[in-house]
Amino acid sequence: MHEPVDANADLLTPPVLSIGGVTKRFGPLTVLDRCSLDVAEGEIVTLLGPSGCGKTTLLRCIAGFWAPDAGTITIDGADTVRVPVNRRPVGVVFQSYALFPHLTVAKNVAYGLRMRGMAKADIAARVARALETVALSDFAGRYPAQLSGGQQQRVAIARVLVLEPRVLLLDEPFNALDAKLRGAMQVDLRQLIKRLGITAIFVTHDQEEALTMSDRIAVMRAGRIEQLAPPEEIFDHPATAYVADFIGSSNFWQSHAEGGRVNLPDGQSAPSHRAGDVTIMVRPHNLAIRPGEDGPLKGAVGFQRNIGALVEYHVATDGGGTVRVMAMRQERGRSIADGTRVTLSILDPNLCAVYEPQ
Amino acid sequence: MSSATALPPRGMLRIATDATLDKLLSGRGIWPAVPAIVVLAAVAVIPFGILLSLGFSDIAVERGAIISQTFTLDYVRTALADPLTFTVFQRSMVLALSTMLLCLFFGYPVAYLFLIGGPWVRRLILVLTIAPLLTSGIVRTYAWLVILGGRGLVNNTLIEIGLIERPLRIINTHWAVLIGMAQIHLPVMILPLIAVMSRHDRRLDEASANLGASRLGTLVNVILPLSVPGIGTGAALVFTISYTTFVVPQLLGGGNYLNAATMIYEQVVYSLEWSKGSVSSMILMATCLVVLVFIALITNHFTRWTKGREA
Ligand SMILES: Nc1ncnc2c1ncn2[C@@H]1O[C@H](COP(=O)(O)OP(=O)(O)OP(=O)(O)O)[C@@H](O)[C@H]1O
Ligand SMILES: [Mg+2]
Repeated sequence: MHEPVDANADLLTPPVLSIGGVTKRFGPLTVLDRCSLDVAEGEIVTLLGPSGCGKTTLLRCIAGFWAPDAGTITIDGADTVRVPVNRRPVGVVFQSYALFPHLTVAKNVAYGLRMRGMAKADIAARVARALETVALSDFAGRYPAQLSGGQQQRVAIARVLVLEPRVLLLDEPFNALDAKLRGAMQVDLRQLIKRLGITAIFVTHDQEEALTMSDRIAVMRAGRIEQLAPPEEIFDHPATAYVADFIGSSNFWQSHAEGGRVNLPDGQSAPSHRAGDVTIMVRPHNLAIRPGEDGPLKGAVGFQRNIGALVEYHVATDGGGTVRVMAMRQERGRSIADGTRVTLSILDPNLCAVYEPQ
Repeated sequence: MSSATALPPRGMLRIATDATLDKLLSGRGIWPAVPAIVVLAAVAVIPFGILLSLGFSDIAVERGAIISQTFTLDYVRTALADPLTFTVFQRSMVLALSTMLLCLFFGYPVAYLFLIGGPWVRRLILVLTIAPLLTSGIVRTYAWLVILGGRGLVNNTLIEIGLIERPLRIINTHWAVLIGMAQIHLPVMILPLIAVMSRHDRRLDEASANLGASRLGTLVNVILPLSVPGIGTGAALVFTISYTTFVVPQLLGGGNYLNAATMIYEQVVYSLEWSKGSVSSMILMATCLVVLVFIALITNHFTRWTKGREA
């Protein structure tokens, strides 16, 4: 067990949203365990983690649907504990969209403004502008049931954005969309949020989505934030074996480190800040594959698949276990057939990560 | 017979895949409804036809059987000209509509409690709503006699705390009938409301709160409009049974209290004027239908959005 991640050491401006040591229990189950997270003005932070790790729970605490058992949540420096849901400057885009089925698109978007007692004429103008922003002006008079999934989602976003919330919370907003639409919406939504300068927390369990959408990613594991860092850093320097396993695909070996260096399975060595038994992680694209048996890391190709310009090989190594290798696709006839004996070597030993043994 | 013959012969299995049978078994077409249609025709349409014909004819009855029947509009004319007809139906209408409103007034909060309550609250409400339905309406009506009577619970309590000196006359009044009816018909209003509430998506309420609505705002703007179908069903049911009710006015209204049902009963059973009773029944049915259509129109107006997909 390691200490909870430091909320954020390198924010320059005071955070818009500050979560400090939030803990939430359901009976004997601790769903959130001392979560800390600071989100700067205009930043998009993604909560990434497997199902059940507490992402939705954290969002619900921020929105005020649930009260944390311990810890603080402040927005613009003001404690939110006593602020009821309907007074928080937080907008939620629900996973299911939760559009009001009995109200038209325009009335759905107008709902929040109406609840705030805004004058009719002002409401109309702002609703029109919000619908324009999400390119739904032509659908103002329709009911949610008459819209496609993507359109419904845009209504859900417009309905919240029209209120200009300080913090925008999005709980897996693309879940119900097909893969292609998802990709387009991710880019659109990120650009929209950035253009409006809104501070946002985005929940997903899709790593690619996290890498696309975020300024920083908080990788969660069983109610804790395991690593909080920009996408490239999470990908290139995962802080723990868990994060490495979760983001991108990875190969793990048990090894031994001594005198600041660790032995790699292909005979090379890499620098190590740990000593003794360690786990080393090598990304599939950091491995080279060649036919023949001329090195210590040998095996047979068990399975391969094309992923666009790349080929992923699953190599059954002689030491036991399967290693994934990602390589450029070879020209016809030169690819390595299934069953071929191959040798693997690590391209850049310095990119291998060293973790405590598992 | 040997046990082997209990199995269907091969040929029958083949027939089972026949298109018509398949259609019948899979519930397509009107075939599955045929038995119900036959029963309905036998027990509802035919007697209704007879009833209708009685209202438009002079009949002679001997030992409970009609021996002659001649066409006349006299009974319809007399009934429509009689001021008593108007008084009685107006009284029934006011009674039924106020019962309906009272049930809605008391029933909706219960349904709301059901919506926001936990599993135990829900179970309790369900049990308390259904339990009275398991007892006879007559028993429950008699219970009101005990409560509202001259020496009943209400009067005794009021006298005890010194609010009144002599017992109030509650029983045998319009008010007794209204109180009894509202209580006895309350479950019929609550059940359709609960049915709607148990299907209500609470995430909409959360969205509403997140968008700035208070609890009351959510109730008025989200929960109420989405429960209109339940309100419509409950209102239609309570109105119908209240408008045509017989037991409660008979017992709580006293011997002289006339509503539509008690009047028809007197015409048919005491005066043996079947034709008069028939005309009254038809007026009852027609006016009831008018109100039901009206309720349906209002319900439809407030649930236009459900037809959204077709537009
Ligand atoms: N109302 C509740 N009562 C009891 N336990 C709950 C409740 N809500 C959530 N949990 C538990 O809390 C844990 C975290 O749930 P949460 O919904 O936050 O997960 P999540 O990370 O959002 O998962 P997913 O990706 O599947 O949406 C789960 O183990 C869940 O069973
Ligand atoms: Mg979730």
